[in-house]
Order: sequence, then structure tokens, then C-alpha cells
Amino acid sequence: MNTKIFKFSLLAAFLLVAIGSGTGCRKELLTALPENQLAEAVSFETPDRFLSLLNGIYSQCKQGNFLGSRYSVFTDVRGEEFLNETGNGVTGLQTWNHTVVESTNEVNYIWNAGYQTINSINIYLEGAQANSRNLGNDALLANYLGEARFIRALCYHSMVLIYCRPYTDGNGSNLGLPLRLKAERLAIDNDLARSTVAEVYAQILDDLNFAETNLPQSYTPATDMRNTTRAHKNAAIALKARVYLGMDRYTDALAEANKLVPATAPFKATTGIQHELQANVKTVFTNYTTTESIFSFPFTTNNLPGTQNALGYYYNPAPRGNGEYSLNKAGSGIVADSVAFAVSDDRRGLIIIHTNNKPYLNKFAAGPQSTDYGPMIRYAEVLLTAAESEARVNGVNQRAVDLLNAVRTRSKGSAYALTDFADANALVAALLKERRIEFLGEGLRNFDIMRLNNPFPAKANVAAIPSSSNTYIWPMPSGERQVNKLLQPNP
Amino acid sequence: MNRIITTLCFLLFVVASAMAQRSINGTVTSSEGEALVGATVLVKGTTRGTVTDINGRYTLEVPANGTTIVVKYTGYSTMELPLGTSNVVDLVLADGTTLDEAVVVGYGTQQKRTITGTVSTIKGSDIAQLPAQSFDQLLQGRSPGVNINIPNGVLNNPPVIRIRGINSINLSSIPLIVIDGVPTYTNQFSQNSAANNPLSSIDPNDIESVEVLKDAAAAAIYGSRASAGVMLITTKRGKSGKTQLSYNNWVSWTQATRVPEVLNADQYLEVKNEAAANANLAGPQYFLDTIGGRKVDTRWADYIYRTGLSHNHNLGISGGSDKTTYYLSLGFTDQEGMIVGNSFQRMNSRLNFDHKVTKRFKVGGTVSYSESKNEAPNTGSLEGGAFATAGIGRLAFVLSPLVDPYKYDADGNRLPGLSGYNVANGALGVGKNKQSVGFLNPLPIIDLNRNVSGGNQIQANAFAQYQIIEGLNFRTQYGVDNLNGSNEQFWHPFHGDGLSSNGNATNIQVANRRWNFQNTLDYNRTFGDVHSIGALVGHEEQATTTEGWGASRTNIADPFFSTFQGNFTTIDPVANFQTKNYLLSYFGRLNYAFRNRYMVTANLRHDEYSAFAPGNQKGIFWGVSGGWTVSDEGFWKNTIGDWFNYFKIRASYGTVGNNAIGDFQSQYLYNSGLYGAAPTFTWTQAGNTDLSWETSKKFDAGIVFGFKNDRIQGEYTYFSNLIDGLILFAPQSPSRGIPGSTIPINVGSMINKGHEFALDVVAFRAGKFTWKTRPNITFMSNEVTELYNDSDILATTSGLETTNITRISEAVGSIYAVPTLGVNPENGRRLFVKKDGTVVQYNHAGGATRWTKLEDGSATSAPSLVADGVVQGTALPKWYGGWENTFTYGNIDLNIQMNYAGGNVIYNGSKAGLRDQRFWNNNTDVLNRWTENNTGGTIPRVVFGDNISNGSAFAISENVEKGDFLRIRNITLGYKIPFASKYFSSLRVYGNVNNAFLFTNYTGTDPEVSSNGNNNRTPGVDRNTVPMSRTFLLGLNLNF
Repeated sequence: MNTKIFKFSLLAAFLLVAIGSGTGCRKELLTALPENQLAEAVSFETPDRFLSLLNGIYSQCKQGNFLGSRYSVFTDVRGEEFLNETGNGVTGLQTWNHTVVESTNEVNYIWNAGYQTINSINIYLEGAQANSRNLGNDALLANYLGEARFIRALCYHSMVLIYCRPYTDGNGSNLGLPLRLKAERLAIDNDLARSTVAEVYAQILDDLNFAETNLPQSYTPATDMRNTTRAHKNAAIALKARVYLGMDRYTDALAEANKLVPATAPFKATTGIQHELQANVKTVFTNYTTTESIFSFPFTTNNLPGTQNALGYYYNPAPRGNGEYSLNKAGSGIVADSVAFAVSDDRRGLIIIHTNNKPYLNKFAAGPQSTDYGPMIRYAEVLLTAAESEARVNGVNQRAVDLLNAVRTRSKGSAYALTDFADANALVAALLKERRIEFLGEGLRNFDIMRLNNPFPAKANVAAIPSSSNTYIWPMPSGERQVNKLLQPNP
Repeated sequence: MNRIITTLCFLLFVVASAMAQRSINGTVTSSEGEALVGATVLVKGTTRGTVTDINGRYTLEVPANGTTIVVKYTGYSTMELPLGTSNVVDLVLADGTTLDEAVVVGYGTQQKRTITGTVSTIKGSDIAQLPAQSFDQLLQGRSPGVNINIPNGVLNNPPVIRIRGINSINLSSIPLIVIDGVPTYTNQFSQNSAANNPLSSIDPNDIESVEVLKDAAAAAIYGSRASAGVMLITTKRGKSGKTQLSYNNWVSWTQATRVPEVLNADQYLEVKNEAAANANLAGPQYFLDTIGGRKVDTRWADYIYRTGLSHNHNLGISGGSDKTTYYLSLGFTDQEGMIVGNSFQRMNSRLNFDHKVTKRFKVGGTVSYSESKNEAPNTGSLEGGAFATAGIGRLAFVLSPLVDPYKYDADGNRLPGLSGYNVANGALGVGKNKQSVGFLNPLPIIDLNRNVSGGNQIQANAFAQYQIIEGLNFRTQYGVDNLNGSNEQFWHPFHGDGLSSNGNATNIQVANRRWNFQNTLDYNRTFGDVHSIGALVGHEEQATTTEGWGASRTNIADPFFSTFQGNFTTIDPVANFQTKNYLLSYFGRLNYAFRNRYMVTANLRHDEYSAFAPGNQKGIFWGVSGGWTVSDEGFWKNTIGDWFNYFKIRASYGTVGNNAIGDFQSQYLYNSGLYGAAPTFTWTQAGNTDLSWETSKKFDAGIVFGFKNDRIQGEYTYFSNLIDGLILFAPQSPSRGIPGSTIPINVGSMINKGHEFALDVVAFRAGKFTWKTRPNITFMSNEVTELYNDSDILATTSGLETTNITRISEAVGSIYAVPTLGVNPENGRRLFVKKDGTVVQYNHAGGATRWTKLEDGSATSAPSLVADGVVQGTALPKWYGGWENTFTYGNIDLNIQMNYAGGNVIYNGSKAGLRDQRFWNNNTDVLNRWTENNTGGTIPRVVFGDNISNGSAFAISENVEKGDFLRIRNITLGYKIPFASKYFSSLRVYGNVNNAFLFTNYTGTDPEVSSNGNNNRTPGVDRNTVPMSRTFLLGLNLNF
């Protein structure tokens, strides 16, 4: 009996040790932290993380649902240049035929992606300043803050163009976007009314002015890809020129453009990165980091745009893409204009005729793995912005024509003479047409139609949409409408 | 006084007749006259016992003091019989669980008689031998309160298991599933389009019983994990005695049911060209074609569905000595689904082992290993996949019949190799037609792509049990449950999903590792047949790590390669996840019964869980219950006791929890990725350090009764379950830019309440004929009572189509759509109703004024789901149940099992697709479209490109249908071959039809459908899914 008691006691003691002491050690398991994700508390702990978080902002901005591809596709296919080939609701059918409603996916997704980027920027602006001693480099901090605010301006500008009436309709007096400028982390502050379009533009300009002051001139060496993929002074200036152009503030647009464009040829930026046109426009779409590409979003084989996201997926026919949109060779499409857009024009070389006899855009040709960069601002745009502003401010003048010709003749387009233009309107019309030829599929068509309050032209069996139509702009997204009780819908 | 004298006389008689040891013998048979093999025969109050042989015979030495023998046989009533003078004692056991049978409860067993919680038992024998991949698919309709839906006919797609409804909004509503004491993994485990239910690791043949713990009294011992109920799976164990060998086998044939009827070539041509003309397109757009003189009229479904052949084998050996018993089984199943390329294989083995080291010291264990392989094309039928362009569920009905899947030469011979597939421009080749004819050609996808989700699982545990004093046992158990998944996906560059990456091979490895350590001290004693006491205290720890890693290789070096190991130019990491959790618990239970007549039970559990932030990790859960066996009272026995032999009242209340959140959900986290070549950190998860488990307050009251000596048994239960502190991913304005626009907060509440009825009746018994009937039905409702800021939660099917809403005072995940009023007979346009009551109509050919008001034809804006949507009804059945009938006549048995549900609505999203006026083929109901000559048409005037009138752009009430149904789930006819007993112990052959008949007015694939799998917020949606299958089966059970 005694041995039994002894044995039992031994067993009991052993188990108590196993349970008791073991549990003590294992208590650590109760406070485990992830090993492959970073806790917020340590996110600004080292200089490397300051940079990684900043790169995170860029990567959010270039996500498929935003500026990396779909925004560009959606804004272009609203125009007359493209025909929908697949009838697929998830690749912009309703945007193309102007039937989006507030619950349409793209209306929500673009908004969500844009504001996620904006909030990351707001968190960054607050966090980087609060933890600046962890970076220990005030000059670098200023650069970083400038980059963040450059991206914020780009986000707000992209969204105000599609969700709100154009600035030129009522001088910005219409409903704009809810302006979110503070870091949002907790479950509060859902309700925020929309600012006016003018207030949104004021914020965009404020961010761009800050960016221009604080951004670096350039990255070294000159071949560093960051001169295209990261913000710098010239990028802020070029974007500001675009913003002013859309506001009907041509004098300001001209002033900004002139910071990058000399009075006379050769047209090459004299400060910061030496931006200039490449000899052949095709180069820009094979070598993505030339001095013509002021700002672009990079894609690599390890950092692809993702399923149904790549520009090439939409525009390249199979097998390099899915041929979602062909070019509109009938009626209103610029491809149909063989006068302004001559057969011999080099830019016709960026179009291919597919086996189905339809033309497709071939600028983003690197399919099926789409490693084409997503172009945001090219030097050619700055030249044409300068030209248009010149024409609108100073009437028909030689510099405007020279700038137009600089873009046009490098692609073997016939040069215009001063005498070709009876008045400024004629010159502006030629410039607008040139923009359609030059920036086909680069996300500028919506901007060019709407800033002038022009109708979206008819195409295939889709009727024209006049600027008075309530489908001229996108509705406020259903997701925001549901939660943000102060959000006013578009009329 | 008389009674006392009678009793004394009886005792004297018994004592006298049992003065000396004697040998008795006899046979043990079932009420059907079948010999029961391996039944235990014991002398009560002694350790003496034996088991019956293959003829049901036994011989037992009864000591002088033996007065009563006890006979036990699983699945039958335990019988006690006082011994008379005769030495030949034949026993006939009634089947069915009886009140003295032990029922498995949390961390132990309890006599059914004394249980005061709500526990249902499903016998393993009821669910073995039926066509299924996992046992949970077979539990449909077998227990009140338990509703199980098979989502569709994809093999091994995890069923939707709901015990008394949906018990959470965002966390899992799948019950905790515990196998031989160790909780296991549930829900979709696949990382690609092949479905993989981890519960398929268990061979249904190995299951002894499934206990369903439904109320707080039964489930509170599982504390923070018990909110959705608990299922305890007990596997078979050996019995001492002669070695038992059994072999079970079945072969089955499976086909798709209710495949949608679509237009043939002529009808398609007529409808689509009419639509094109209505859309002002110039001339016909579609044309008939011939190949080698044969008219092209492709029935795509014929290429996608097939008759699948399956076979299943299980070999079991069990037995042992007085000291050691074992159960060893081997299983193999190889199943083909109704979808071409869909298959399931499993090889499994199990050893359950028990050994008595000494009288007081017992050890034992279980080792089970299972290896399975699931293969399926992209069916578009799993959660999140409904709109996959390669989903063949939709391709089966969306593609035009005007083109052939293949290409042919001038002589009509199919072209060789890849050139023989009709594809062009990344889509199905258009042939002579001017418009597209389909997204993709499904045949190269089926032929060239491969999705395999394989798994292997080791479930093992070892225990030791020591009896300290009589009635007091200490038990320690250590178990592991390791589930590994290997997922292989290959997308050929030729066509479909692999086109945009020029070939894609993605392999993902997933490893789940769990250990579980339990120690319990259990005391059970009855004092003087008056006071029964049970007490349990315990400690449990469980740690689980979940890791996944994988890579996606794209841009194939040469189409020769078809596996991940081949050469590709690019490799990217995918599915890297790494989480862990830990649960530390202490628990206890106290039972007390007075004369087994008045019973009370209390349960308590203290849990500490790692997923919550420190300070919010600890919680106490409890349940109390009481019961009164009224029929044991004298006043009852002496009055109605003769015919109303059993009546028990019971009630319980308690709180349990749901902790099934992400392992690090309380934390704010940043993920790292790339911007070009530069590393990034991006905020990806909003956390909440105040987060805690959801609390479920369960009240339960009911009666259990038996008439005519338990010939009619039944129960009724009322339940009410208030779930508080629901973790809602509280919607944040998207403009705030919070990841996912949500923050998890314990904020919501909802209530499930209802009534359960069940009967178990021997309806008829005469000679060799017996009819037993077991109906059950549950009536219940769900109501959401609190949400974050009272805001609705809209939910989408596969992230694209908003179909469900969770709103205060409605049921969770109710169907939500814009109301429609049919077709305007004036002009054939669909009529929609806006929130303010304005009726608007849509004309896809209307240019800038597509939307007009009905009243004056003036232009108006489009309706939208958010602004104009209306709740269409609950997606959750208001009533459901099952009804099983068993007829036996001699050696013949016939079992008919039905299940039924209703009171719910279904969003038939596939109907929108089947009426879509893009190239999509249509249901034949489109033939009754509005035209100028058919102004009563029920389908709007067809306009080419119209994806709005029939609900492809946003959900419309036109596509909402009632979900009531009655299904003959199983018909099984068996025959025990009498002459076989010369060679075997028994041989039974049987045939079964699974999903034999369905009675419903629902027009979609199947009223049980779930395109969104187990998702709580999007039940009742039928979107592009493959239909259900029907299976014919032949099987045999052979016992040596």
C-alpha cells in the first residue's frame, strides 16, 4: 500500500510540475507578436522604415485599382478613343458606356484606393514628424514630407476630376471631395461633408507648393530610376502646370510650365533633372526611365500589376493581354483622323492591327507579364501645356507653334506654320488634337474633355453625354454614402 | 406492507436460487431476430462477464451472489434481467439509446437519464456506408436544431453547418468539432479552386457516435469556443473477445441534377439578333454554322458534366483480451465528381488502443493518419469565386451554342493539339459571328489546367487514467493534430487564367500544428441509490500554429513544363502567412441527482486566449441546468405510468463565447511588399486592443418523454440565444482610408430563438415487419438587435455583387434588392421602384436617357441598391428538419430519409446571368420576352448589351425566390443474404440513391445552394455555381 501511495504521489508530483511550471513558461504564448508583420508601435523606429513607409505610399498609389492602371483605363475609356470588346462588367464596361451607378465596383474601388493612399500619407506626415529624431536628418525629412504631399496632391487631383464637376463649371463652386488631412486610425470621425471643388484645388496647390519647395532637385546618378519613380521638384512643377490648366488659370499654368521649358528651342529643362523629349517617342515605352518620363509608376516581374490590373491587359490583344478595348477606328476616334494623325506618323507605330482587323493600342506592349511602367507625367505634356497656355494667354504666337511642332515633328508629323491658325481657337484645337494623338491611352482624355466642359462623344452604340448630364461625372460611391452621413450625393 | 412482503419473498427466492455458482447460457438477439455479435454480458455487481459469439451465443459462469445479468450492445438498449431458475437465458435487446446508456459529454460521459443539457446523439452506423467525402455532409436532417447544407456538387466542398442558426456575424458559425477529445480544424482548407474540407480526413466508418451539444449547460465546459455549439466525435474502440473483421465497400455513380435549360442554336440566333436589331446594330450579328455538314449547336453543359464513378473500401479489425483492446481500420476511397476533372481520394488508417495496466491504472491512445487529394477545375463555385471568368459552373450555361469547342479541317476532322481548340483573342473563338460568343473556352481549361489540394493529417493522442479511490479518477491526455496541405495549381499559357501570365504554376504549402494537453480529476459516486454525485475539475492548454508559404512561377520557359518544378522566368512569393494562438483553461463541472429524479448540473470554465490584447484575455463562462423526471414520482407511476412511462422536464441557462478571430486581430499591423525593387511597409490591419470574445447567453427549456414503454420517444425544446458583443468590422467611411474601411469592435447583438421537436417511434411491429419513424423539425428565427452606429452592413457575393444586408430587426444576411414590377406591357421595359415610390423604367437603347419615369416618360437617374434597395426576406430557413423511416422485414431493410427547410428566400443571381442580353446564352424562359406581338411577355424587350434589366448590374427583386423544399435525401434498400452465414458472420448488400427527389418551386440549381460557402453575411445566394449531384450506389457489408 505504501509503495502505491508513493507511486501515486510521484506521478501526481510529476504532473503538477508539468502542468504548473510548464504553464508558467507557456504563458509567453499569450503575448505572441506576428513574425511577418510589423507592429504599428515600431513602424517609425529606424531610418530604413521611414523610407519603407514612404515607398509603401507610392505602392498604394500605384495599386491596380488606382493610378497604376485602372484609373488611367477608366478615365480614358469614358472618352471616344476606345471600344469595349469583352462586355465584361469588371473591366470597365459600365464606365465605358456611361451606366455606372453609385454601387458600381469601380466607383467604389477607385475611391477606396485613393483615400487609403491619402490616409497613409496623413499618417506618414504626422508620424514622421513626431518621430523625426529616429530619422535624424532634417533635410531628408523635408524631402520625404515633400514626396508624401506630392502624392497627396496627385491623389486628390485624380479623384476630383472624376467624382466632381469640373473646376471650370462654376469656378470650383460645386461639391468637391471630403478633404481628409489628418491621420485616421480609430473608429471615430466617419462623418465629413464635402468641401467645394475650389477648396480641394486650394489644398492640391498648397501640397504642390510645399512639395516644390521641399523635394530634391534630382537623385544621383542621373540614371537612377528614382528620377522617374520618385517625386522631385520638376514633377511637382509639371503636375502644378496640369492642375492650373484644368482650372482655366492659363497664366499660372504657363508660369509653372516655363519653369521647365525654355523660351526657345531646344526645349529642355534647365533646373533639376534635364527633362527633354526623346528622339523617338517609342523609346519612352521601352526605356521607362528616360529624361522624358518625369514621373511614372514602376512595375517589375517581382512587382507586377496583378490580375486584370495591367494597362497591357486592357489594351493588348491576346496573348499579351486580354484585348478588353480596341481603338475606335470609326467616327469620333482619333485613329480615324488620317489628316492630323497621318499614316506616316511614328505614333501610328504604337498601334497594331490585330488578326481581327481591329486596331489596338500597343504602348504597353510587354505582355503577358506587364512590366510596362504606368506613365503619369511626360515632358511632352509640359510642352503642350506650355503651348496651350501660351495660345490662350497670348493668342496665336510662334512659341506656341514651336512647342506644338516639337512634340509633333519628332514623330514625323507635319509641322504647323504660324499661318495655319486663323485665331487662338484654331491653335488650341490643334493642340487638343495633338494631345489626343500623343497621349492616347495615357489617362488624360477625361481631363481634356471635362476641363472644357465638352460632351463625351458618341461611340459604337453609346450615345454622347453632354456636360449637363448627371452621368457626366461619377456618383458618390455607395460605400461612402452608407457610412458618411454628411456626404452630399452628386445631383 | 404488501409490497414489502412481496419484495422480501422475491429476495429470498433469488438468494435461494443463487446459492451456488452455476453456468447459464443463451443467445442475444435484436428485436428483428438478428444475432448480436460481440454483445457484452455481465453479472451485475461483479467483474465477471463475456461477449457473445458470431451466433449471438454466450456462456457465463454466475457466482453464488450473482442475481442479475446486464447485457450491453452499442446502439441498443442496455438490458438488466434478474436471473430466475432457468440456466438458459435468451435476451432480446431493443434498439435505440436508452436512458442508462452513456452519452459522451465534454471531458467525460454521463448517463442519458441524468443529463439536463441538450445533447443529441447521432449514431455512427446511421451515417456510415453513404456516398460522401466527409461525415458532416451526412448529418443533414438527423438531429433537431442542426441544419446542414451542401453548397453544391463540387466534391468535398465543406457543408454549411449551423446549430440553431447563425451564431455570429463576422466570426465562424461552424461548431467546435472535437475528435476523441482534441478540437480539430474546420472550413475550407484549399488554397486553389479544388475544394478541401479538413473533416474529410476522418473515415465516416470509423465513427462510433456524434454528440451535438446545443445549449449552455452542455457546451459551457468548452467556454470561449462554444457559441456555435459543439460536436463531439467519438471513434470506435475495440471490445474484448473474439477478433471481429469487417469489410465495407460501395460503388457509386454521380450525375448533375437540374442543369439550367438554355437556348439552342436556332433560339439563340433568334433572340440575340432580335436584341441586336433592338440595339440599332446594323444587320444580324450572329449566324448559324456547320462543320462537315453538321449544324453547330453546342450543349456546353454536356462537356462539363459527366457521370462520375466512385468506390469506397473500409477494412476494420477489432478485438482484444480482458486487458487490451484495439480497433484498427484501413480505408480507401476514390471518388469522381459530376464535374469533369473533379475527384477525391483518401487513404486512411486508425489504431485505437486501450490497455489496463492494473485494476486501477489504464492507458490508451489513438493514432490516425489520413492522406487525401482533391482535384477540380475552376468551378467558380467556392466562396469568392462566383465571377471567375474561368469558372465552369457559369461557362456551362453562358456560352453561345453557335460555336463548337473545337476547330476542324475542311474534312471535318478535329485539328491536332492546341490548334484543335476553338479560341481566339484570349476568348472562345467567334467563328462567323460579329460579336463575342463567350468569355473562355472551358475545354482547354479542363484539359490543360490542374488544381490539386492535397492534405495529410495526423491526429494522435495518448492518455493515462488512474483510479485514486473508488469513483475518483485522474486522467491526463496529450494530443496532437497536425494538418498539412499541399496545393498545386498549374495554368497553361494557352488559354484562360494562365494566358495573362504566360503560364502560371503556384504551389502553396500549409501547415497547421496543434498540441493539446488535458488533465482532469473526475469523481462519480452514488450513495445508497439516492444521491448521485459527479464532480470534475480540469486543466487544458492548447497551442496552434498556422503557417503557409508558397510561390507563383510565371512566364513559362517552354510549354513542355506543366509543374512548378519546371522552368519559368519569374517567381513571386504567395500565401505567406504565419500565425499562432494559445488557449489556457481551467474548468469544472458538478452534477447532483437525487434518486435520479431531481438533477442539477453546473459548469464553469475560465479561458485565457492569446488573440486578445493583454487585459482582455481572461473570461469566465458558465452554465447551470436542472431536470426533474416527473414520471419517477409515485403519483405518476400509479396513474398514467403504464402508458406514459417517461417524462422529464429540464431547463438551462449560461454564457459561452466565440473567440474565432484572427490570431493577431487586436493589433495594428503593417505588411511589407515592394515598390519596384524597393521594400515597403503598408498599413494593412486596423486592430483594437479592447477586443474581446463574443458572448452568447443561452436559455433552454424542454421536455423529454416516452410512451408505451418507450415505443414512442420524443423531445421538445425551446431555446433562446442572445449573442452580445458581436465583433463587427465596423464600417468606417472609406474616405478615412482605414484598411478595408473597417475596424473590429465588440458592438453588435442578435438573438436566435426557436422550438425543436423530435420523435422516435416504433410505428408498427408485427412478426418480422417493423416500421420505425423518426421525424424532427425546428422552427426558429434570427433577429439582429444592435449594430455599430445602427449602420447596415452590406455584403457582396465574391466581392462584386451586393446581395445581402445585415440590418437591425432583420435576420443576419437578409436578401437585399431593388424592387421590380415586371415588364411594362406598353414598351417591354423592366419597371423598377425607387425608394420614394417612383416607378422608373429602363431602355438600354435609350442613349443618354435610358432611365425614364413611368408616369411621364421624363428622364431620371438610375436607381441604386444602396438608395433604393429593400429587404426581400431572410435567407435563413425559418423551419427545417428531417424525417427518417426505416422498414425491416426479415432480412430486408428499407430506409428513407428526407430533409426539408423553408421560410427563407434565395437570391437567384444565376438567373440574372441566364437572362443577360450580352452574348450570354439565356434560359429558355427568355423565349417569352416582350415583343410588339407578345406584349404580355414576362422578360423585358431584349436589347443587345443590356446587363441592367435582368439584374446583372445590381440585384433586383425579380430574382428573389422562395427557398421551401422537401428532399428525399437518401433511399437505402438492404438485404442480408441468409445463406452467406455459412461462410461469414453476416453479409448485407444494399443500394442507395442519394438526393433522390427534390420537391420545390425554386427555379435555380438547388434551394440548399451556397455560393458563398460558410459566410454568415451572405447566405442564400445562388450565383454561377454548379448544381447539386444525384448518386446511385451499390454496397456491401461483410462481417467475418
